[in-house]
Amino acid sequence: MSTVGVERGGDPARSSTHRDELVGLVALIAAGVLITAVGMRLLTGPLATLAVAGLLAIVATLIVMAIAGGPQARRRLAPYGLLKPGILWLALFYLAPLFALARESLSTLPSRFAVEAEFDWNTGNYAQAFSDFGPQFTRGFVYAAVATALCIAIGYPLAYVIAFRGGRWRNLLLGLVVVPFFTSYLIRTIAWSSLLADSGPIVGAIDGLRLTSVFEALQIMDNDRLINTPAAVIGGLTYNFLPFMILPIYVSLEKINPALVDAAKDLYSPAPSAFRRIVLPLSLPGVFAGTLLTFIPAAGDFINAEYLGNPNTTMIGNSIQDQFLVQNDRPLAAAMSFVLMAVITVAVFFYTKFLGTEELS
Amino acid sequence: MTSSDRPRPPFDRRQFLLRSSALGAAGLSLPAILAACGGDDDEDASTGAAGGTSETTGATSAGTGGASTPGGGGGDELFFENWPEYIDPTEDGLTGTADRFIEASGVQLRYTDAFNDNNEYFALIQPQLGTGGTIEPDIIAPTSWLAGRLISLGWVDKLPVDQVPNATNLRADLRQPSWDPTGEYSLPWQTGITGIAYNLDATGRELASVEELFDPAFRGRIGMLSEMRDTIGLIMLGLGADPASITSFDDAAAAFEQLVAAKADGQIRAFTGNDYLDDLSTGNFAACIGWSGDVVQLARDNPAVRFVIPEEGGMSWADTMVMPKGAVNRDAAAKWMDYVYDPVQAAQITAWVQFVSPVTGVQEEVAKLDAELAESPLLFPDEETLSRLHSFANLEEDVEAEFDAAFSDIIGA
Amino acid sequence: MSAPTSGRGQIARWGLNAYAALGLIYLFVPIAWIVWFSFNQPAGRYNIVWQRFTLDNWTDPFANSDLTGAFVESLKIAAISTSIATVLGSLIAVALSRYSFRGASGLNLFLVLPLTTPEIVLGSSLATLFFDWDVSRGFTTVIIAHVMFQVSFVALTVRARVRGFDWTLELAAQDLGATPMRTFWKITFPLILPGILAAALLSFALSIDDFIITLFNAGSLSTFPLYINGSFRVQFPPQANVLATMVLVASVGLLMVGVVRSSRRNASDR
Repeated sequence: MSTVGVERGGDPARSSTHRDELVGLVALIAAGVLITAVGMRLLTGPLATLAVAGLLAIVATLIVMAIAGGPQARRRLAPYGLLKPGILWLALFYLAPLFALARESLSTLPSRFAVEAEFDWNTGNYAQAFSDFGPQFTRGFVYAAVATALCIAIGYPLAYVIAFRGGRWRNLLLGLVVVPFFTSYLIRTIAWSSLLADSGPIVGAIDGLRLTSVFEALQIMDNDRLINTPAAVIGGLTYNFLPFMILPIYVSLEKINPALVDAAKDLYSPAPSAFRRIVLPLSLPGVFAGTLLTFIPAAGDFINAEYLGNPNTTMIGNSIQDQFLVQNDRPLAAAMSFVLMAVITVAVFFYTKFLGTEELS
Repeated sequence: MTSSDRPRPPFDRRQFLLRSSALGAAGLSLPAILAACGGDDDEDASTGAAGGTSETTGATSAGTGGASTPGGGGGDELFFENWPEYIDPTEDGLTGTADRFIEASGVQLRYTDAFNDNNEYFALIQPQLGTGGTIEPDIIAPTSWLAGRLISLGWVDKLPVDQVPNATNLRADLRQPSWDPTGEYSLPWQTGITGIAYNLDATGRELASVEELFDPAFRGRIGMLSEMRDTIGLIMLGLGADPASITSFDDAAAAFEQLVAAKADGQIRAFTGNDYLDDLSTGNFAACIGWSGDVVQLARDNPAVRFVIPEEGGMSWADTMVMPKGAVNRDAAAKWMDYVYDPVQAAQITAWVQFVSPVTGVQEEVAKLDAELAESPLLFPDEETLSRLHSFANLEEDVEAEFDAAFSDIIGA
Repeated sequence: MSAPTSGRGQIARWGLNAYAALGLIYLFVPIAWIVWFSFNQPAGRYNIVWQRFTLDNWTDPFANSDLTGAFVESLKIAAISTSIATVLGSLIAVALSRYSFRGASGLNLFLVLPLTTPEIVLGSSLATLFFDWDVSRGFTTVIIAHVMFQVSFVALTVRARVRGFDWTLELAAQDLGATPMRTFWKITFPLILPGILAAALLSFALSIDDFIITLFNAGSLSTFPLYINGSFRVQFPPQANVLATMVLVASVGLLMVGVVRSSRRNASDR
C-alpha cells in the first residue's frame, strides 16, 4: 500500500497532520454513531432531527476544513471523505439492524399476533433458544464443520494444482472454478435433488456396483436412499461453498515464490516434506480465510436441509427462518440469531488458536 | 525535477472530498426518505405473487365495455388471491371460469394463485393488517381456521351478502360454521376430505386404516402434511379420539407422542404441502396423508394411485373466501361470489378441481358434464360417507399456540 | 518449478493432477444437469425426471410469464444495486489502498464483518429494522439489502486488485503537466477499471443469486430464486433451466472476453 506525498519537515507539519487525521477519523466515527443511533430509533422525533443536523454539520465542517486547510489538510482528510458514503451505508444498514435485532431479542410480543414487540429486557427468548433448539444448533455446526473439512479436502489440492501447475491456464482455470457460481444457488441444489433421487443416476450406479450395503454401513445411504439423508445435506453444503474455499487458498498459494519452493525441495529432499514445512504453513492464512467463508454461511444455511434433507436433519437456519417468517415469533428468532453468531464466534476463536499453535510447531 | 523535495498534491483532493461528501449527504437523507416511505405505504402494501403461477388471462383485452371507474366500491376490478390449481383453467378449447366471468360481467378479474401456505401467508399480511393498513387482494381464500383467526382479529370486512342472491345455495351444513358464527364474513370456496393416499405399486396392498401409516414396512416412505390439523386430526382418529371435541392440548397429547416417535424412527420421509403428489406418483412415498381432490385428479392419470377415507374416519375441511379489511372492490366481489355460487358455474369448477363443492345442486349439473364423476362418493359424499368425516375443533388462541409450537417442533422447523 | 524425475514422483504428480481434475469435474456435474435438463420434456410439472429430448423449451423460453417476470425483477435489482455498491465500494477501496491513515485497520475489520455474519442474521436484522421503521418490504428494501452486502465485497475485491498499483504514476503525470482531472481519467481510472469491473461482475452475480437475505426483505416481491422456491411446491418448469443456462452462457462469455483480453495485455506488456 503506497502513500503519496510522504510528509517531511518539522514539527508544525506533523502536529497538523495528526490533528487533521484525528479530526477526520473522529468525524467519521461520530457520523457513523449518529446514523446508527437514528437507525435504531434510539433517537426519535426532535432528537433524530438534531442527529441528522449534526451529521450534516460534520460533513460541512470537513468540507470547510478541506477547502480552507490547504493541500496538506485535503490529503489527510481525503480518505475519510472517500470512506464516508460506504461506511455510513454500512452503519445504517448493517450495524443499526444488528442493534435492532438485539433489542428485538430482549423484547416480548404483547399478544401472539401483535406486530410490535415491547422491549423489556426479556432474556427468556435466549433461554428458549437454548432449550428448545439444541439439536438444530448442533446439527447446524456439525454439518457445517464436516462440509468445511470436505471442502478443504477437495479444494486445497485443486487450488494447489492451479497455483503451481496452472501456468498460463491459471486465469482460465480459476474462471472455471467460479463459473458454476453464476447459476442460481437454488437450481444447483435442485439439480442435486434430481441427481441423488431414488431413480437417479447416482443411486443407480451405486446399486449397479453393488455398493449399497457399503454406503448404508457408512451411514451415507439410508434404506436404499441417498436423498433426504444427512449425507445429502452435507454434500449439498460442500458443493455450494467449495469455490469460497478454493479462491482464498489459491490467493495465498499464488503469493508463494516458486523459487522458495524449489529451494525447499533441495533442502528437504522428499517433496512432501518440502510441502509440509514450507508451502503448507504459508498457505494457512488462505485456509483460515476459506474456512471462515465456508463454515459461517454453512452453519446458518437452510436451503440444503430443505431440499435435500428430512425432518430429522433440520438445521438451525430452518428454525430461525420458521420462527421469523411462519410462526411470527420475531423476538425468539432474534435471540436464536444471536446465539448462532455467538457460537460461531467462539468456534472461530478456538479455530484461530488451533491454527496458531500449528504454525508454532 | 525541481519538485522532488516538496510534496505535491497529486490531484485534486477537493474534488474527491466534495464529491464524496455530496454522496454522503445524499446517503444521510435516507432516514428521511425511509420515514416518509413508512408513513403512507398503502400503495406498496401489496401481497402479490411471491411465487405463484398466475392464471389470469388478458383481462385487459376482454374488455367488454369494462371502462374502469375510478376507485370506489363500484370498481370494475377485482383481485382474488387463491391456492394453486384451484380453478378450472382455460385450455384444450375450454374456457375457464375466471375467463367466463370476465366475459359475462365485464369485471377485470385478476386471479393469482400465490397462496401457498396458511402460516406463511399470514406472516406476509401481518405487517399491514396488523397495523391498520390494507393489502392488495380483495378476496383471499384461507383455510377455515385461518379465516377464523382473521375474523377474531378483526382483519376482515363483512361480505356484501345482500348482493349475493346465490348465497342461498350454500350447503346447509356449512351455514354459520364454528369459525364464522354469524356467517357474515366468509363464503366457502371449496371443501374437501383429508384421508390416506397411497401408491399401490409401492405398498403392494390396499390400505384402509391410519395405523398402517405407522407400519414399519413403510419406514422412510411415509409422507404427512405440514397442515397441523390434517395430520394431528387424522392421527387422533386413528387412536380413537375425536378432533372435534378438543378443548385443551392434553386431548391431543397421545397423537403428538405417536407422531414424535414416528419421526424419530425415521418413519416419515417428509412433511409436505401440496408437493406430495409428485413423490406419490413416483413411489417415493408409499403412502401419505393427502387431500381428496388432488389425489383423485392424479389417479386419473396414474391408476396405481388410490385415495381412501380411513376406516377410523377422515377429516373434512374448507377453504373459504374472505375480504381483507379495507378491500375496495366490494361490488365486483359480490358479482364474483354470485357467479361461482351458481350451480352451473360451480359444476365447471368442481369437474376440474374435483373437490367437494359448497354449493347445492352441483351434482345434477356435473352429471351433464361427466356422468361418472357425478357418482363419485369423494366428490359428492353420501350420508354414510359424511358421517365418517370429522372436523377439527376451533381452538382458543392460547391452546392454538401450544398446538402450533408442538407441531412445528416435530416438523423440524 | 522443477518436475520430479523419479517414477514414484511422477505417479504422485499425475495422481494429484487427476484428483484436482476430478474436483473440477465435480464442480460442473450439477451445471451439466442444469443445461441438459433444459432440453427435457417433463411428464408432469416437475422437471426432475428425464423424459425425452426437446427443443421446445428453448424456442419458447419465456412461456412461464411469472417466472420471466421474476427473472426480470432479479436483473433490475442486480443492475441497480451493483451500480450503487460498485461506486461506494470502489471509493472505500481507493481510500484504503491509496492512503495510509489513522483508523485504517479498524475500518478494515468493520468492512469484513458483514461477510462473516451469516446471511440469515443479515436478512432477519434488516427485516427487523424495516419493521421498526414501518417501511413495507419490497423492491426498495431488497435493493438496500443487496447493496449492504455487496459494498464490503466490492471494496475488498477492488482493493485486492488495486494493491500493486503504483500511485506515483499520478505524480509523474502531474509533473508532465496534466491537470488532476485529466490524470484521473487518463491514467488512474483506466488502470483500476479492470479491478472495478471484476468486482462489479461478481457482485452482480451475488445479487441475482441471493436468496436468504432477499427472502426476509422482499415482502411479496418475486425474484428469480424466490419464485423458484415458492412455486416448487407445485412445479419446477424447464424454463427455469433455460433461464439459468442463459445466465451461465452470458457469464462464461464475459469470462472468456476477460481472459482473452488480459492474456493479450500480458503478451503485449512483454
